[in-house]
Amino acid sequence: MPQQINADIRAFVVDNFLFGDESEAPADDASLIESDIVDSTGILEMVSFLEEHFLVEVADPEIVPENFDTIARLTAFVAGKRNAKAAAGT
Amino acid sequence: MFQRILRKRRSPAPHGMRDYLRKLFLDPPRRDNDIRSLVHLREDGQVNGFMGVLPMRFTYRGETLRSAIGGSFMVDGHEGDPYAGARLLRAFQSGPQDLSLTETANDVSTAMWRKLRGTNLTGYSLEWLRILRPAGFMAAIAADAFAPAALARPLARPLDALLRRRGAPPQWTHVADGEFAQRALISEEADTAETMSLIRTFASTFALRPEWSESELERMVIEAQRKANYGTMVRRKVLARGGKPVGFFIYYGNRGGIGRVIQILSVPGHEGSVLDTMLDDATQRGLVALRGRGQPALVNAMLGRRFAFVHASSSIVYAKDKALLEPFVAGQAFFNGFAGESWSRLLGDRFD
Repeated sequence: MPQQINADIRAFVVDNFLFGDESEAPADDASLIESDIVDSTGILEMVSFLEEHFLVEVADPEIVPENFDTIARLTAFVAGKRNAKAAAGT
Repeated sequence: MFQRILRKRRSPAPHGMRDYLRKLFLDPPRRDNDIRSLVHLREDGQVNGFMGVLPMRFTYRGETLRSAIGGSFMVDGHEGDPYAGARLLRAFQSGPQDLSLTETANDVSTAMWRKLRGTNLTGYSLEWLRILRPAGFMAAIAADAFAPAALARPLARPLDALLRRRGAPPQWTHVADGEFAQRALISEEADTAETMSLIRTFASTFALRPEWSESELERMVIEAQRKANYGTMVRRKVLARGGKPVGFFIYYGNRGGIGRVIQILSVPGHEGSVLDTMLDDATQRGLVALRGRGQPALVNAMLGRRFAFVHASSSIVYAKDKALLEPFVAGQAFFNGFAGESWSRLLGDRFD
């Protein structure tokens, strides 16, 4: 499942912030802020995407670099949310 | 931060402004213990972001709605900490209110609101401008950018006297002598109590409108009397021939200056007469132009009267219940002016 999450997030980043240019796609551990790919507006766009696409709830204190700064961290964040949701449902 | 980021001044914030910010945001006209202004702290505990929040109640289809009006949104060094603004806006929208509103979103804030599914209200976001005296208007614009240019103002008067005789009215560049006088209704100064009563009466024609308490509206009306940077307040009720009030307007301006309108209200169907009366009043007082914020209810009447429209800042609404967006989109919401932030001294007053 994390591979699919990673692929979806990567596709979203490329489509929305890089005008679909795959050649500019960042490495999984590259900072989206330091690479000038995402700014404050982009962070909010990402929040809406995660909530609508993966059906997870993002709490305000969770909007931090530890969860949002790289594609790898975003993937881990969404996977963790889904696991927690699945555990709560069992 | 307010002085440096929003007012773009290097001097320390005047005490009067500090006191007013404290009063406005810590003791707002409407108190709601769950809806408060927000600060953002850096990791070292320093404040680096702020969202000023004013609670307000609205009524729609017999239900009371809680709202939060967000303004004075600022982040110190937002490029270095892009998470601060994102978290502030997100925290604001996540509050317990039914409606999250702003009427002063700049381009950056507007983009952020839209990413969080806020609805930008075109009809409420357009700034209108009606030029009355073109040479004086240009002189006022020049003086605003470069103070010594004010010396050219006396030269504009004879030029305007000449220009105002050119072309059959209406012209978008100017108004002719007495152009509105024949169509204008009688207007009289309105005191605080009358103003409150008129605002309530005219607001009642909107499907969604504020549910002001007496003390809340009184404080807003009184605070709106002070806008020194805009000029002298002109607050008038418009009367039909029988003496019945059919409209109300409030603007600020001085002779030779550009007047700022914060509210125009009218009985439905009389918008044109109220606009004519206001334009006649401003022309007679020697103003060179009037500008103000759009209201969907007024747009049709403005189109025939040679108003120009530009976009300066946005009015935006966000609601978890999408049905609550309908009156805003349909132009049936009383929003902006006394249902927003325009009444506050932060817009147009001087503190030093």
